[in-house]
Amino acid sequence: MAVSRRTFIEQLAVVGGLSLAVAGMEALGFGFASAQAAPPPLTGKGKGVRVVILGAGLAGMTAAYELTKAGYDCQVIEARSFAGGRCQTARKGFSHTDLIGHTQVCDFDEGLYINHGPWRIPYNHRSTLHYTKLFGVALEPFVNDNDAAYVYFQNGGGPLAGKRLRKGQLAADMRGYAAELMAKAAGKGGLDLPLSPADRDRFIGYLVSQGRLSPKSLAYGPTEGRGFDVYHGAGLDPGPGKLSAPFALADILSSDTWRALEPLGDHEQQLTMLQPVGGMDHLAKGFERHVGKLIRYDTEVQKLTQGAAGVEVFFTDKAGKSGSIQADYCICTIPLSVLQGLDVAVSAPFKAAMAGPAYAPVNKIGLQMKRRFWEEDHAIYGGHIATDIPGIDTISLPSTGWQGQKGVLLGYYAFGADAARISAKSPADRAAFAVAAGQKIFPEYAESFESAFSVSWHLTRYSQGGWAEWSDDARASAYPVLCEPDGRLYLAGEHLSYLGGWQAGAIESAWQQIAKLHARVNAA
Amino acid sequence: MRLLFASLALLTAAPAFGQDAGQTQFVTTCSACHQVTGQGIKGAFPALAGDPFVQGDADAVITTVLNGRGGMPSWKADLTDDQIAAAISYVRAAWGNTAPPVTAAQVAVVRARSAQPVVRSMQAH
Repeated sequence: MAVSRRTFIEQLAVVGGLSLAVAGMEALGFGFASAQAAPPPLTGKGKGVRVVILGAGLAGMTAAYELTKAGYDCQVIEARSFAGGRCQTARKGFSHTDLIGHTQVCDFDEGLYINHGPWRIPYNHRSTLHYTKLFGVALEPFVNDNDAAYVYFQNGGGPLAGKRLRKGQLAADMRGYAAELMAKAAGKGGLDLPLSPADRDRFIGYLVSQGRLSPKSLAYGPTEGRGFDVYHGAGLDPGPGKLSAPFALADILSSDTWRALEPLGDHEQQLTMLQPVGGMDHLAKGFERHVGKLIRYDTEVQKLTQGAAGVEVFFTDKAGKSGSIQADYCICTIPLSVLQGLDVAVSAPFKAAMAGPAYAPVNKIGLQMKRRFWEEDHAIYGGHIATDIPGIDTISLPSTGWQGQKGVLLGYYAFGADAARISAKSPADRAAFAVAAGQKIFPEYAESFESAFSVSWHLTRYSQGGWAEWSDDARASAYPVLCEPDGRLYLAGEHLSYLGGWQAGAIESAWQQIAKLHARVNAA
Repeated sequence: MRLLFASLALLTAAPAFGQDAGQTQFVTTCSACHQVTGQGIKGAFPALAGDPFVQGDADAVITTVLNGRGGMPSWKADLTDDQIAAAISYVRAAWGNTAPPVTAAQVAVVRARSAQPVVRSMQAH
C-alpha cells in the first residue's frame, strides 16, 4: 500500500469516518427535530388587528394562516401571479422570465415535472410536515442516497479519474480499508483504546462486520456486499458468479471520489427523505386553498412607511396602477436581496443589518428524457450521481414514476461561482452544457434528451438568490437586529433562521414572529 | 447530439474574451448579474460602469467580493486571491472607469482578517 497509515487516517478524518469512531460517536448526539414542531398558540385577543403581509411564500402564508385563525385581519401582497415564493414546481405550461429577459415555458409531457426550488423534506422538519399533514399533501419517499448511483470525478488523478463508479462499491472499499486498518491496529493494541480486552474484541467484531473483513486475517477483500462482476444466479452458469475486485485504496484516494462518500447523517440530509406526490408546489397550493382569498397577486411593493399609529405599504399592480394598504403591523417576508432595493422606512441600524447576509447563486435544470435509461440500462432507481464536473455537481434521478416511459431528471444542482458561470448562458446553451456533461456518464444521455427547463435563483425576479448565507460576523451582528421588529415591521423567512434555505426555516421564522407580534398586541 | 459536442468544444477551445485574465474572470464569474457591459440590471444588480464605489477604497471593494453583500454572493470559497484581484482590477479600469488595479497581495490581507468560509457540502438543501 503506497499510502502511510498516518496519511490515510488524516484523509479519513476529513471524510468523518475515523473521527466518528474515535470520538465515541459524539456526532450521533444530534437533536431529532426542528426546534418548533407546532405553531404557537395564539390565545387572547387578535380580533380586528390589521396585519399586512408582504410575500405569499411559505413564511407569508404561514403567518396569514395562523393569524387569521386567531382573528387577525390579514392581507397578503404578492408580486408573482402565484403563491409559494421559491416553493415552485415546473410542469407543462409553467413560464419563467429571468432578470436578464430570458423566457422559458416548460414543455415537459403531462405528469412530468421538476422541483426547481425546494425538493426534499427531512423527517425532522416537523414544522413543514405539520402543514403537509394539515393540508392533506400526499407524501412519498425521496431517495436521497443510492448505492447503485454513479460517482464520476474527472479532476482527480490515477486510474479511477474520469471513470464512472458505483457509489456502493466505493463505499464498501473505503469502509473495508478503514475497518481493516483500525481492526489490525486495535488487535495489536496500536489504537490506544480506553477499552477492556473484551470490549476491544467487540469493537474489532464491529469493524469486521462493518468492513466485511475476514474474521481471521482482518483483511478486506472481495465480498458479496460489494457486488459481482458476474452476478450469481441459477444452475452452474452463472452459478456462484464472480465477485468484483475492490479498487485499490491509493487509487480511490488519488481520484478524489472518496469525497462523494460524505456521510448523509447530517441533521437535514438522510438516506430517505420525503417529497409531495406530484411536485413540491402542492405544499404551496395547500396553504393557498386556505389563505388564497387574502392574497393580492401581481402586486409589487414599492415603499413602506410606518409611524406610531401603523404602517402603510405602497404598491403597483399589474396594470401599473398604484395603491396603498394601511395596517397596524407589517410582516415582511421579501428576501433581503430584494428588500434592500426597496424604499423601506426603518432605523439606520436595521437598514444596515439588511445588507448583512449574502445570497447564494443556485442553478437547477430539469431535463426530460424520452427513455428512463438510468433505470433500464443502469438499474439506478432514484438517488444522486455525484460528480466534480464544474457547474454540474449533482445529477439527480427521479424518485417517482419508476419504470415509466419518460422521466425528468435534475441535470445540475450547482452553487457559487460555477452556478454564476453557467447562468450567464442562454437557456438553450445551459441545456447543451448539461447534456454534454451528462453524456460523459451515460452514453444514452444526449440521444434521449427532449426538453429542458432551467432556473438560476440569483437571476430570478423577486428572489435574487437561492437562500441567505450568513457569515459568522453577520450572524453575530446583523442577524439579531433583524430578528427583532423595527417599529411595527417584523421580518420573517428562511433568512431569519438557522434552517436557511429550508422551508422549515421560513415556517418556523413566521411562527416565531407572529408569536412576538401576538404577545405585543396582548400586552397593549 | 453532434451539435451539442461541437458547441461545447468551441466554448472550451476558444478563449473568446481575449488574453486579459481580468476580463475573462469578470465575464465568467460576474457578468451573469452585472452584465458584460458593466451596466447591471436596473432594480436588481447595480451598474459597475461609472460606479463610485468600485472605483473607491480598494479594501471595501475586496471585502464586498469576498463576503458578498445583500444579493451578491460571497466569493471567498470559490475564487483565489489572483482571480479576485484580476476581476476587480478589470472592473476598476473598464467601461471608462479609472481606478488603479488591486493586487493579489491586497486581497490576501483582507482575506486574512475576514472569517473563513464554511466548507460547502456537495449538496446543500
